[in-house]
Amino acid sequence: MLDTLQVAEPLRYVQINESRCNGCVLCMKACPTKAIRIREGKARIEGVCIDCCECVRACPRGAIQPITSESFDLTEKDNVIVSPSTVLYSQFGEDVLPNDVLLGLKRMGFGYIHDQSYTSEIFNLAVELYIKENRERPDAPLPFISPVCPVVVSLIAYKFQSLLRHIPPLVTPREIVAREGKMRLAARHGVDAEAFKVVHITPCPSKMICMNESILQNHSYLDAAIGINSIYEELKNNIQDVEEDIVLHHSGGIGLSWGMSGGEISGVDLNCLAVSGLQETIRYLEKIEMGLLGDIDYVEFRACTEGCLGGPLTVMDKYQGKRHIQKLVRMFGVERRVKHGYVKKLYDKGWFFTDKGPALKRKLRQRSPADIAKGIERQNRIEEILRLLPRKECGACGCPDCVTFAEDVAEGRSSLGSCVFWQDQQKG
Amino acid sequence: MQIQRLLKFIGFDAGLIRRISICAYEAEMNVVMHGGDGELRLLVDPKKVILEVADDGPGIADIDLALQEGYTTALPEHREMGFGAGMGLPNIQRNADSLEIHSENGQGAHLIITFESGSS
Repeated sequence: MLDTLQVAEPLRYVQINESRCNGCVLCMKACPTKAIRIREGKARIEGVCIDCCECVRACPRGAIQPITSESFDLTEKDNVIVSPSTVLYSQFGEDVLPNDVLLGLKRMGFGYIHDQSYTSEIFNLAVELYIKENRERPDAPLPFISPVCPVVVSLIAYKFQSLLRHIPPLVTPREIVAREGKMRLAARHGVDAEAFKVVHITPCPSKMICMNESILQNHSYLDAAIGINSIYEELKNNIQDVEEDIVLHHSGGIGLSWGMSGGEISGVDLNCLAVSGLQETIRYLEKIEMGLLGDIDYVEFRACTEGCLGGPLTVMDKYQGKRHIQKLVRMFGVERRVKHGYVKKLYDKGWFFTDKGPALKRKLRQRSPADIAKGIERQNRIEEILRLLPRKECGACGCPDCVTFAEDVAEGRSSLGSCVFWQDQQKG
Repeated sequence: MQIQRLLKFIGFDAGLIRRISICAYEAEMNVVMHGGDGELRLLVDPKKVILEVADDGPGIADIDLALQEGYTTALPEHREMGFGAGMGLPNIQRNADSLEIHSENGQGAHLIITFESGSS
């Protein structure tokens, strides 16, 4: 349960290649959780990493790499269910349709190909049902926040814990696809569900969090997450000259638009807002924490600018990808292909709910006056140290900014002598 | 926003921080619209937080009237931007545990807004 959530050191899905790192300050400055320090001329992740990959984008030397399931054995593909993010459909130019991409995956030898875009449209209706059912409650945490982007969920869990109850306890489309894929095949073949492996083809490494340490559910049905860029060449070669009469793609334009910012909410018939990019996401989470935006039902946050199309493991530029998706949306139309009654039945059966229980019941631990007294004492020490600093925000001390440096000094992680300006002052 | 971050860093409960932030925002808007130069001070104690706002503006002529919802002396240009709806002081009163207003005409306004920790 989330009410006992401890801020444990999470696993990290980025790694720093020290031989390539020259100890510049760019990644450290880019990190939204201020988790990076430069120690002995090399970048180190010391604080809470939420796998947003801002450091990966900031590094001019390619020294920081996302980690995915590269070691997952793909030689045996018969029992593998491959389920690509809808972003994959935007990566091959405007003449390649979603079905061609899915057929390309089949030609690569994967046993089962499961499209996510149709399930995404089903999920849209489940969100509608959940919010309509809960928004009139006197303690309704409005606006509700989309559970889809794992980086946003981590950000909330570590920096905005009071907003955890705004996340509906619904299973994301990628997890529904994985669960249903395994269950159906297991039933059909009369074997255990774990005889099948689900490989998600992803634009970002944050899906690794969902697999290994999800905040929203106990058990994940995903077995591996592989970057779009790592299968790109092989898939591209298999897409050419596909002429088969198999239909693997069933969604309309709404499901296809999920990869771009605003795509998820385009299928939700409520008062919605889409925010993308990490800095903007933080700004809006601060607003919600202040009690603003209560007139909105649902906010779609995506840590990457322009949504998942801007993920660090994509191949196509995000704006070009967006152009391709927009063309697909026009081609397939925006009417709903999912039947409301069908989704309602599944919803009533509990099909969409995570195994961690309803978000509305989550409550956080109250801090005692003693904790707060300690906090005030710490803040006073920090402000005392800050008065000694020049506020040049240079980063030469190995900390991202002067405030963080003062915090580190107050807690004994850095020494005041690391500040070049302070040292100069002592000499002069 | 800075107050919000600071209080969160210290470890106050989110509900309390929300109430303080709302009051700080409303008081700040009042200073911007009416007060001329102003100063905002935050006094922090584990049991309570006091927000003191003082300005050197024209002061508040009738404090009881100013505390009524909808009563406003804002200029049309403020109202055009969506501010000055006569909700500022009432909103502060609603969110604070106690509110003291000291003001004489022409002498500026001085607000002492108190929040009890654990009463959210």
